[in-house]
Amino acid sequence: MNTAFPFPLSGRSVPFSLGRLGIVAGNTFLEAVRQKLFNFLLLLAVALVASAQLFREFNFGSSELKFISDFGFGAMVFFGSTLTIAATAQLFFSEIENRTALTILAKPIWRTEFIFGKFLGVFAVVGVFCALTTMLMLALLYHRETSLMTANPDAFESGRIIHYGDLVLMGVLQWLKFGVLAAITLLIASFSNTNLYTVVMGFFVLVICHLQYLARDAYGSVASLPLRLLVQLLGYVFPNFQVFNLADQIGIGEGIDAAVFLRVAGYALIYIAVIGGLAVYSFRNREI
Amino acid sequence: MTAPNPAPAIEITGLTKDFALNLRGIKLRAVENLTLNVPQGEVFGLLGPNGSGKSTTIKIILGLLDPTVGECKVFGVPSGRVDSRLNVGYLPEAPYFYRYLSGEELVRFYGRICGVPKKVLKDRVREVIDWVGLTGASHRRVGTYSKGMLQRIGLAQALVHDPRLIILDEPTAGVDPVGSAEISELILKLKKQGKTVLITSHLLAQIEDICDRVAILDKGKLIVEGAVNDLVGLRDRQSLIVDSLPPAELDELRGWLAARGHVLNAVEQPRTRLDQLFLSKVSRPKKEGDSK
Repeated sequence: MNTAFPFPLSGRSVPFSLGRLGIVAGNTFLEAVRQKLFNFLLLLAVALVASAQLFREFNFGSSELKFISDFGFGAMVFFGSTLTIAATAQLFFSEIENRTALTILAKPIWRTEFIFGKFLGVFAVVGVFCALTTMLMLALLYHRETSLMTANPDAFESGRIIHYGDLVLMGVLQWLKFGVLAAITLLIASFSNTNLYTVVMGFFVLVICHLQYLARDAYGSVASLPLRLLVQLLGYVFPNFQVFNLADQIGIGEGIDAAVFLRVAGYALIYIAVIGGLAVYSFRNREI
Repeated sequence: MTAPNPAPAIEITGLTKDFALNLRGIKLRAVENLTLNVPQGEVFGLLGPNGSGKSTTIKIILGLLDPTVGECKVFGVPSGRVDSRLNVGYLPEAPYFYRYLSGEELVRFYGRICGVPKKVLKDRVREVIDWVGLTGASHRRVGTYSKGMLQRIGLAQALVHDPRLIILDEPTAGVDPVGSAEISELILKLKKQGKTVLITSHLLAQIEDICDRVAILDKGKLIVEGAVNDLVGLRDRQSLIVDSLPPAELDELRGWLAARGHVLNAVEQPRTRLDQLFLSKVSRPKKEGDSK
């Protein structure tokens, strides 16, 4: 082996590197897609979205198309949430339990790069999942809408009624929501000792994020001041996942306001940045 | 090339590490007031029974743990800093790597993490894989490797960025005597290249063969430290190995020694070591990837 190897590493400072972050993300993505869980959930989601075709005998016209759209997004949300929590916890703890984290963190790499690399890897996996299920749903809707236009041309006098672009935006919003969920799961994993605890807590927080608006509505005006402040605080701590649910506004009907879309996307990105930062802080203090 | 850094490869001063056992503040002291210097170019053995603090010390050197008290420097850089790891290669105990990557992909992955430039990465990966004797198995998935092969690919990933300090935590654990001897040979080659090697092992015969100096820890405290020859050699004794003597000549020799004020302390038959016997009898697998 050459003793005078031609790259001087000594005496170098090690700045934060998006390249190293990308390497960790790429490896995380590769690991995820080679796991059976990802393939299994993807197949289930695809099967469920495709099964919406079975409802064509309803022949409801636009109501049927709305049903297919809601059904498809419902499948995406259910399996996407499951995939996000399970994959994030699994991909993090496989590094800890198999001690591969030791070999990586013993290299000149920042823990920030490691955590955000893990996040981006999961985010990419969920992105592929959302893209595939959204494309499948669009194809089904297009096919069904075309059939309905032929069978019932009066109902489609002004052309197609589905806003396909808006459905893509809806897919993007679900992806961002899963990004927030992945960041939350990663934060839990950064201080948790077991995979199971992380998964259970992840689902627990998922429920809170979906239902916290109910608490705000119920206690926001009638409760005593301390309780009202507590509910308000929880409203800031836990992101409100209902804001991502624009299914009633987009797809079929009036279409989505660009400002609303950008506001919701910004809301997600802010939560991802803040929660990701907390995960990094927690992981930097973790003894591996 | 940069001038050699005069600082010791590892410099540990007054190091203490406590682990919190519960929320009531009860702590376990894993390492207590450890002071240790490992000069550059040495093979240094860190010994001790299980739970003596060896792995904790290594993790502190690697910046994976922060010391409770004291400090640790690697080539003069505090071990908590990321740049202290630029010149460190690490092979953990019983390494487990990404099973879905091939040996070559794995070493390339670690090389990229370490910042090995792209233009030399491919050649460097092949070079270290060849150096550890895994060229024939480099395209196989790591999940199919035997324990000995895992140790060797682990050594390759530890060396891919050409570090000056290599830390090997139980590199021969679970490896057969042939694999263990090969790892010893690799360590001695590293020493010839001027690398510093810190090794922990329970195979004391191996440590004795390859280490310049050792330190023994027990319950987190440094018990003994020094050059191997100084520690295990009996300076006031000598061995004379001769052909077998008949009893009468042996008595004559004893008398000759007694007349000069010396005592014949023991008459023994020299023995070969069991590991040497094993290695001389067992055929070694071919270098290009042993069978699982």
